[in-house]
Amino acid sequence: MGLIQGAASVTRYMTETPLPHDFMAGLPEAIGRFAFRNLDESSIDERSAGWVNILDMFDNRFAGMEFLKEPYVALSLRIDERKIPPTALKQYSREAEESVKAEENLTFLSKSHRADIKEAVRLRLLKRAIPVARIYDMIWNLNTGMVIFGSTSARVCDEFLERFLHTFTIELQAVCPYTLGERHLDKAGAPRHLLDGLVPSRFLEGL
Amino acid sequence: MQILEMVRKTEFLGREFLLWLWYKSEVEEGIFDLGEKGKAELWLEGKIMLQSETEKGVEIITCEGETSDMKEARFALAEGKEIRQAAVKLAIGDNRWSFVLDAGWMNLRSFKSPRVMNDSNGDPDGFFYERAYLIEEALAAMDQIYAAFMDRRLSPEWETKDRGIIGQWMRQGRDRP
Repeated sequence: MGLIQGAASVTRYMTETPLPHDFMAGLPEAIGRFAFRNLDESSIDERSAGWVNILDMFDNRFAGMEFLKEPYVALSLRIDERKIPPTALKQYSREAEESVKAEENLTFLSKSHRADIKEAVRLRLLKRAIPVARIYDMIWNLNTGMVIFGSTSARVCDEFLERFLHTFTIELQAVCPYTLGERHLDKAGAPRHLLDGLVPSRFLEGL
Repeated sequence: MQILEMVRKTEFLGREFLLWLWYKSEVEEGIFDLGEKGKAELWLEGKIMLQSETEKGVEIITCEGETSDMKEARFALAEGKEIRQAAVKLAIGDNRWSFVLDAGWMNLRSFKSPRVMNDSNGDPDGFFYERAYLIEEALAAMDQIYAAFMDRRLSPEWETKDRGIIGQWMRQGRDRP
């Protein structure tokens, strides 16, 4: 369940550069290019990721420009993955190895032969595996430049950053105590270098 | 400075912010002025994670409980452990949020906003805007509270006054019955 529909974790980013003047005009094409594509049932692709409607995970066409909710660009990053349970892979591989040994009248299979069998079994099982879909919401306030993303997983956040950059050709800067402090000093008209002189406080010293 | 280096070098600001929030909520009722938005009430409740780094390695303790005094966590604080994450409750007017605030990236885990009824026959965009407003309201409030902390942290009074007062409060955690 995403940030908009229920509880989620939140990572924040800021856009580092102003929006290009033709930004709005290029949005439908840019988002469409990186929209989610379903995993083909006959394919052996293990993973598919892309943008979907934040209010409908099955809508990847954005026929009514549903991503634009001014002043926000709102999307969900949908990641579908097909996974084979390791125990099942092990069991089916063993079964296949026994069949090969019986058919070819062998008592022993080399390491590379067993690896080939395992890969063949993996590909066969992959076609039977049902993809699991995960949704991570993104709300980008175009007025403030703040981007709110619904995950704190480093792996998912890295994938989001990469996809955001490819889609919008805009780099994001992660929010952390230092950057939040910088923003505050900028707003207050104070110099940023005030932060650089700070060192950790020794609360328990000298008491 | 690269972002990871920046985070590492200034992570102490996030830890001190969490400590300051804890102190303010326990000793000064945790009321924060948000200007035009009114007042926010903030308190720590539930899970708190503390950590210390020594030559022997990293030691982490996690305390969970509903009681406001969090005795074990206060004792760990008095022993020099630093806060890494804390479960926070935030209230502005009738609205209530809960989340786990992380000192390193200022991430909010398990973030829960006030409930909004999703009327599927109604205006779905209305639902979106209401949810987005509530998320942004909480984040803006936390930014304002962090700004108040930074003002204090950068002022001369931090060293001459606040550091000692917070230190004494930390020390009291060791002597509590």
